[in-house]
Amino acid sequence: MIELSEISKVYPTRSGSNLVLDRISFAFPPRTNIGILGKNGAGKSTLLRIIAGTEQADSGTIVRRGVVSWPIGFSGGFSGSLSGEENCRFVARIYGADIDEVVGFTMEFAELGEYFYMPVKTYSSGMRARLAFGLSMAIEFDAYLVDEVTAVGDANFQHKCRKAFQERSDRSSVIIVSHQLSTVRDYCQRCAVLKHGKLSVFDSVDEASSFYEAA
Amino acid sequence: MRGSLTQLQVVHALLIRETKTRFGANQLGYLWAFIEPALWIGMFIGFYGAFGRITPPGMSLVAYLTTGIVPFSLFRDTAQRCMSAIEANKGLLFYPQVRPLDLVVARGILEAATYLGVMTLFMGGLALYEGPPRIDSMLETLGGLALASGFGVSCGLLCCGLSVYSPTVERLFPSVLRLVFWFSAVFHPVESLPTSMRDVLLLNPVTHAIELVRDGWFPGYDARHADALYVLAWILVLSFFGLSLERMARRRLELS
Repeated sequence: MIELSEISKVYPTRSGSNLVLDRISFAFPPRTNIGILGKNGAGKSTLLRIIAGTEQADSGTIVRRGVVSWPIGFSGGFSGSLSGEENCRFVARIYGADIDEVVGFTMEFAELGEYFYMPVKTYSSGMRARLAFGLSMAIEFDAYLVDEVTAVGDANFQHKCRKAFQERSDRSSVIIVSHQLSTVRDYCQRCAVLKHGKLSVFDSVDEASSFYEAA
Repeated sequence: MRGSLTQLQVVHALLIRETKTRFGANQLGYLWAFIEPALWIGMFIGFYGAFGRITPPGMSLVAYLTTGIVPFSLFRDTAQRCMSAIEANKGLLFYPQVRPLDLVVARGILEAATYLGVMTLFMGGLALYEGPPRIDSMLETLGGLALASGFGVSCGLLCCGLSVYSPTVERLFPSVLRLVFWFSAVFHPVESLPTSMRDVLLLNPVTHAIELVRDGWFPGYDARHADALYVLAWILVLSFFGLSLERMARRRLELS
């Protein structure tokens, strides 16, 4: 369970400060997949990083029970000079997971072939995302925080991602941020929209969509 | 308790990773860690020999230079590597349990381990050639090396924090370190220097560390001016400011 109360975040910009998150309070229910919709620059990724603990909020508190993943996305987390395998070993170590299991699972899931043993800097962004996704699936989290990443790969890979989340749905929840309604519709039971620094929560994706599309 | 265990896990993982990224994927890469200081010391022995300088009585040239250059290099490399620790590993701060301090500490440990290996290799090699040395106090020598390492980490930590605010620090620091070299009493025992010069050199914590290393190694060495507490005070003060900066810097770091 993750509970946010009065979370605010300000980014300094050239023309003064930009209030990205404005006193957001929300308790994420356990074992429920939630999608957070937001246009580019709405602060989705910032919110996700704050939930993960990667970034600190300027004010407000956050309570996390259970193991929460890092923000799984296209960027960050891998060092380019190390191979995909070596990066997996590192992450397994810092989460105290079984190294061989993590490496084996990720190799099979990410479908990188020989590239798994090559430096990550030689990867395309889709390959990096696949590695990140496979790696996160190899570690048991109570909450998976996903940043846009599910739209990668072919239909087969996307199917595999959905199946992986379904298999975990009795013990883990997923929080996905995206600007695409279809992603949220595919994965989530509930939906929230981040707009002008405020989070509005809806019981169904359809309700959320009309609010999201309205300017 | 759980927190410190996680931190140990993280530092351990970082150590393995740093070893790989720094020395390359193949095992031979690690040799470079030894070759570089070996060339340095070799160069100074040649230089020293050519100008006919003499070492203090009862100390062989190689041992004398090694006990000076190893602690200085340990300090210099630690400071430099720690300074760039955050910049080089920013991506890892993506994982919430990895803190900037862990990156600095891991690099500090790796440098200390490397130079301990270098020192052992040199002194071991020398012992084969000259016969086993009569070491006065191993503990004091190790203590001197620990102080050089600790001072390097605290300098690096401070500069690392400062460089988040001003990139100039990063560019200036290597020049400052080069200057510090000439004020570290690598070549002369402090005792043998004129008072005015000695007072200046003794302001430098690295001088004290080197004196302690030599005092521990050579039975006849007189390091009456060396003061471990002085170095420790420097380490504490620099670490205090370095850690405060790290806390503030963490908010400012743009993750990419």
